[in-house]
Amino acid sequence: MMEELAKVPWAVIAPLIIVQIILMIVALIDLRKIHATNGPKILWVFIILFANLFGSIAYFIVGRKQS
Amino acid sequence: MRGFNVLLQKEFREAWRSWKFLWIPLVFALLGMSDPLTNYYMMDILNAVGNVPEGFEMLMPELMPLDLIQASIGQFQTIGLLVMMASFVGAISKERANGMATLLYARPISFGAYFLSKFVVMSTICFVSILAGFGASVYYTTILYGTLDVGALLVSFSTYYIWLLFVIAVTLMMSASFKTVIATTCAFTVIFVGQIIDMIIGIFWTISPWKLASYGIAKFRGTIEMSDYWWSLVITLALTIICIGIGIVMMKRNASMTKI
Repeated sequence: MMEELAKVPWAVIAPLIIVQIILMIVALIDLRKIHATNGPKILWVFIILFANLFGSIAYFIVGRKQS
Repeated sequence: MRGFNVLLQKEFREAWRSWKFLWIPLVFALLGMSDPLTNYYMMDILNAVGNVPEGFEMLMPELMPLDLIQASIGQFQTIGLLVMMASFVGAISKERANGMATLLYARPISFGAYFLSKFVVMSTICFVSILAGFGASVYYTTILYGTLDVGALLVSFSTYYIWLLFVIAVTLMMSASFKTVIATTCAFTVIFVGQIIDMIIGIFWTISPWKLASYGIAKFRGTIEMSDYWWSLVITLALTIICIGIGIVMMKRNASMTKI
């Protein structure tokens, strides 16, 4: 198990994963705070969680309702 | 410039609270990562999804580090600009539509200061974004392909930033002149149709703002005349200033369009 983990080229993969996690967390925090979204809130939770990178970006572009 | 500092603070706070300082740079960073990665792992990707027949051989082009920076700039040019313009185009027209502008316009602010404060904040976001984008692209390129020349990077970075300033100025001008929907259409038309036209019949002229994005790298490779580069730069800067001027005038004229 550890050997297989060591084989993964972390220098290549780590930044991608970090960016993905930051985007997801920020989108979820924002979703928690925001008053209303375009479309049901629970839908956006699933989109952010399961449509990895694309989901959080889509939330920021179209999901947020500017009040 | 009455109240410029106050307005600037307000714009910064607004951009910060809507997370624009965080997610737009991250999107650019992703775009910057994508090209070096996909090019490097192209063979693996093809093997994994492409149903490659037995004994199939393909000659992959030998890519230099500069080629990858150019490819990343190509990514910024399409998806990056789309994201950036989509999030900026409502800056003035949306405020008019939802009545927030009424609160501001009732006070003795100067429209020039207000417009410029928006412009400054957006150019800061743009700067951070392409810094992140170039950073990600350079990181992967150095890991996977080899080192880059710092001079070439600086030149292409600043050239691309000047082109982005032009894009922001056009977007804001359209936002000041029209309602959000029309402004979106007009701004996208100017930037993207301009690029397409430049791509199709652009060989007949060498000086245009739409060429500037690719000139940063081309200048370093020596494939273009120096005078063309400088003239494009000067014309782009001049157009940016003209757009800001028109934007301020239109903002003042459309102040009555606000919803009360």
